Amino acid sequence: MWLFALPALLINVCIILVPAVLTFTAAFFIWDGVGTPVWAGLTNFQNMVADPVFWSALTNNFIWTAIFLTVPVCLALVMAAALLMAPKARIVVQSIIFLPRIIAVAVTGRIFQGMIFSPATGIVAWLNEHGFSISDPLADPDRSLYAVAAVDIWHWWGFLAVVFLAAMRQISVDQIEAARLDGAGFFALFRYVLLPGISPTLTLMLILTVIWSFQVFEFIFIVTRGGPAYGSEVLATFAYRHAFFEGDVGHAAAAACVMSLFGLCATAVYLRLQITDDAQST
Amino acid sequence: MTMTRRQLVAAIPTAALAANLPRGARAEDGRKVVTFWFGQANSDGQAALRNDLVEAFNASQDKYLLQMEVKGAAVNNLLKVALVAGNGPDIVQTAGPAYLTAIANAGQVLPLDDFAEKYKWKDRFLAPLLNTSVYGGKLYALPRDYESMHLFYNKELFKQNGWKLPSNRQEMEQIADAAIAKGIIPFGAGNADWKGVNEWLMTVFFNNVAGPDNVRKALSGELPWTAPPFVEAVELSKAWYNKGYFGKNYFSLTIEQSFLQVVNGKAAMALSGTWSFGTKSYGMSKPDTVMDVAPTPSLGSAVSGPLVHLACGATLSIAKTSQNAEGAAAVFEFMLTRKFYEAMNRDWPGKWALPVKDLPPEMLSGIGYPLFEKTIANLHEAFSKGQYGFTTWTFWPGATNSYLIEGIEQVWLNKITPDAYLTRLQTLFSQEAKEGKVPPLPPRTA
Repeated sequence: MWLFALPALLINVCIILVPAVLTFTAAFFIWDGVGTPVWAGLTNFQNMVADPVFWSALTNNFIWTAIFLTVPVCLALVMAAALLMAPKARIVVQSIIFLPRIIAVAVTGRIFQGMIFSPATGIVAWLNEHGFSISDPLADPDRSLYAVAAVDIWHWWGFLAVVFLAAMRQISVDQIEAARLDGAGFFALFRYVLLPGISPTLTLMLILTVIWSFQVFEFIFIVTRGGPAYGSEVLATFAYRHAFFEGDVGHAAAAACVMSLFGLCATAVYLRLQITDDAQST
Repeated sequence: MTMTRRQLVAAIPTAALAANLPRGARAEDGRKVVTFWFGQANSDGQAALRNDLVEAFNASQDKYLLQMEVKGAAVNNLLKVALVAGNGPDIVQTAGPAYLTAIANAGQVLPLDDFAEKYKWKDRFLAPLLNTSVYGGKLYALPRDYESMHLFYNKELFKQNGWKLPSNRQEMEQIADAAIAKGIIPFGAGNADWKGVNEWLMTVFFNNVAGPDNVRKALSGELPWTAPPFVEAVELSKAWYNKGYFGKNYFSLTIEQSFLQVVNGKAAMALSGTWSFGTKSYGMSKPDTVMDVAPTPSLGSAVSGPLVHLACGATLSIAKTSQNAEGAAAVFEFMLTRKFYEAMNRDWPGKWALPVKDLPPEMLSGIGYPLFEKTIANLHEAFSKGQYGFTTWTFWPGATNSYLIEGIEQVWLNKITPDAYLTRLQTLFSQEAKEGKVPPLPPRTA
C-alpha cells in the first residue's frame, strides 16, 4: 500500500511539505529574498504584532470569513433547494450561475473594477450622470473590503449552489415525497429534510470556507491591492507586500504562519467532527 | 542500445532540465546567446524593443544573439527568485537603484568596473546617475534612463482662463482654486492601476516643499523625517487632497484616464513624470497638441525656483552566474550607439533616455517631438550641473518607500496624522539605514 501511495506522497512532500517547512523556518530569519538569511529568533513575530496593519488585516480576514460563511452559503442553499424543486429549469439555471466560476479571476476583477464600480467608465458613472450620487466603493477604505467581497461572492456562490444541489439530489426521493405528503411546505422541507440531508457536505464546505478565507488573495490583490489606506488589506496581501515590495521575507513568512494556523484550526475541527461522526455510526 | 521503460521515465526529467538550461547556450548559427528580461511594455514599446534593440543588435554583429522576454509587472519578483536559484537572465534589469541595492549587496550581479574601463563608461555617463549604482566603490549597474517629475498642463485651457504658468505655491493654489470654481479638476491624478502614483506626488511634495537639501540630509541620516520641513510637506499634500485638488476619483481612475482628463480639458494640470511622453494616446508629439510641460514650481520657502528630480527608472547589470558577460556588455555598448539612441527615443520616447555625455539631447531634435526634446535638454543640463531633487523610487530604501506609498493614503483619508506617518517612516528608514539598504547618494555637484 505504501508503494502505491509513494508517488502522491513524494509530490506532496516536494511541493507542500518542503515549502511549508522552509516558510516556517524563514519566519525566524531576517532575509531580503536575495542575500544571506540572518537568524532573528522571534523578532519577525514581535514586529508583526506591533504593526497595527497586521491587526487590521487579521480583522479583515475575520470579516471576510463571516461574510463567506453566511451570504454565499445562504444564497446557494436557497438556489439549490429551488432547483431541486424545479428540475426543468435546472440545466439552464445551473449553467448561468456556474458561469462566473469559469471566468478567470483577473477578468472578473477587471470587469467589476472598470465596468461596474468605476466612476469614469462603469455603471457607477452612468448612475451619477442620471442623478444618483454614488461613489466608487473601491475608493472608500471603509467599504472597499465589502465591495471586493461582493465581487468574490458573485464568482463563488454559483459553484456552492451546484455543490449543494448535487448533495441534495442524493437525498432519497421517498423522504422528500413523504415530507410533502405530511404537508411540509418549502421552508419546512428545507429545514427538516434538505438541510439535515446535506449536513456532511455543508460542514465540509463551511470548513473549507474558513480555510480559504484566511488564504484569500487574488481578488483583493487584483481589485484594490489591499487599499486604499489598507482598508481591504488581508493577511495574504500583507505577506505579499512584505515579501516582494519591502524585501522582508521573514516578516511575510511570520504572517503566512498565522494564516496557516487558522487553516490548521479549521482542519482540526473538521477531523474532530469526522471522528465523532464515525464513532456515532459504528 | 535499447532503453527500458524505467530508464525512459528516469531520462524525462533530465532531458527537460537540459532543455531549459540557457547558460552559455549557443544559437544554431554558433552565436552565444545573451538573455534579457524586460518588465512592462505597451505594444509600441514591445515593437520598439523588438525592432530597435533585439533585431538591430543581432544584425550589427555575428558573435552574440540577444534573446529578450517581456515578463510584465512581476519582473522584479521573478528576477529575485531566479537570481537566488542561479537561473536568471544574463542581463539583469531592475526598476532603479532602490531595487538594485539588495541584489548588489547580495552579490548577485557582477561588478562592471573592468567593462567600464574597457568601454570608458565612467567618462561617458553623467556622474550623478552613474553614481547611484556604485556600492563599496564598485560599479554594479548602468543607468538605462533619466526621469523626473514635471508639471504637465493644458496650455489652451490656461490661455482661455488667463492663467499663467505658476512659479510658486501661492500661484499654484490660486489656479487650483480658480479651476475648482469653474468645475475643472486642478490636477488630473489617479492610482487605480499603479499605487506608485502616490510616490510621484510625494516626491514633489518632499522636494518642492522641504527642499532638496533637507531631503539629502534626511537620506544621509543627518535630519530625521519627522523634522518640520517634512511635516509641512505632508500636511500640504493632505490639504491639497482634502481640498479636492486631485479630483474626487483619485483612487478610481487609472494613470491614463486621469492624464487624459488634462488633455481633454476636464483637468488643468498633472504632476507626472517624463515617462508620460511615451504614451501616444496623450497626443503630446503632435504639432497641434494642447499640452505643455515645465519643471515643477517651488512649493515652499526652501526652494527658490522650478525643480527637477533626479531619477533613474531602470538599471542594467550582468548576473553573477552569467556565462556570457562579454555578450551582455556588448549589448550595453550597442545601447550607447547613436543609431540605437535615436531609433528608441523616436519609437518609444521617455523610456530609454540614456544619461550619456556623448549622446547629447540635441541629437533628439530630429525626432519631431518638441515637448520631449526640450524636457530632455533641460534634464540633461540640470543633472549635469547638479541641480536636482531626489525621487523616492531611486533613493528611498524598499520598506521605507513601500510605507511612503501605502501610509500616505492613511494620512489623506484621515486615518492617521502626518506626525504618526513620519514617525513610522523614520523608524523604518533608521532600520534600513542600519542594515545598509539605503541606495547611494550622488555627490551634490556633477
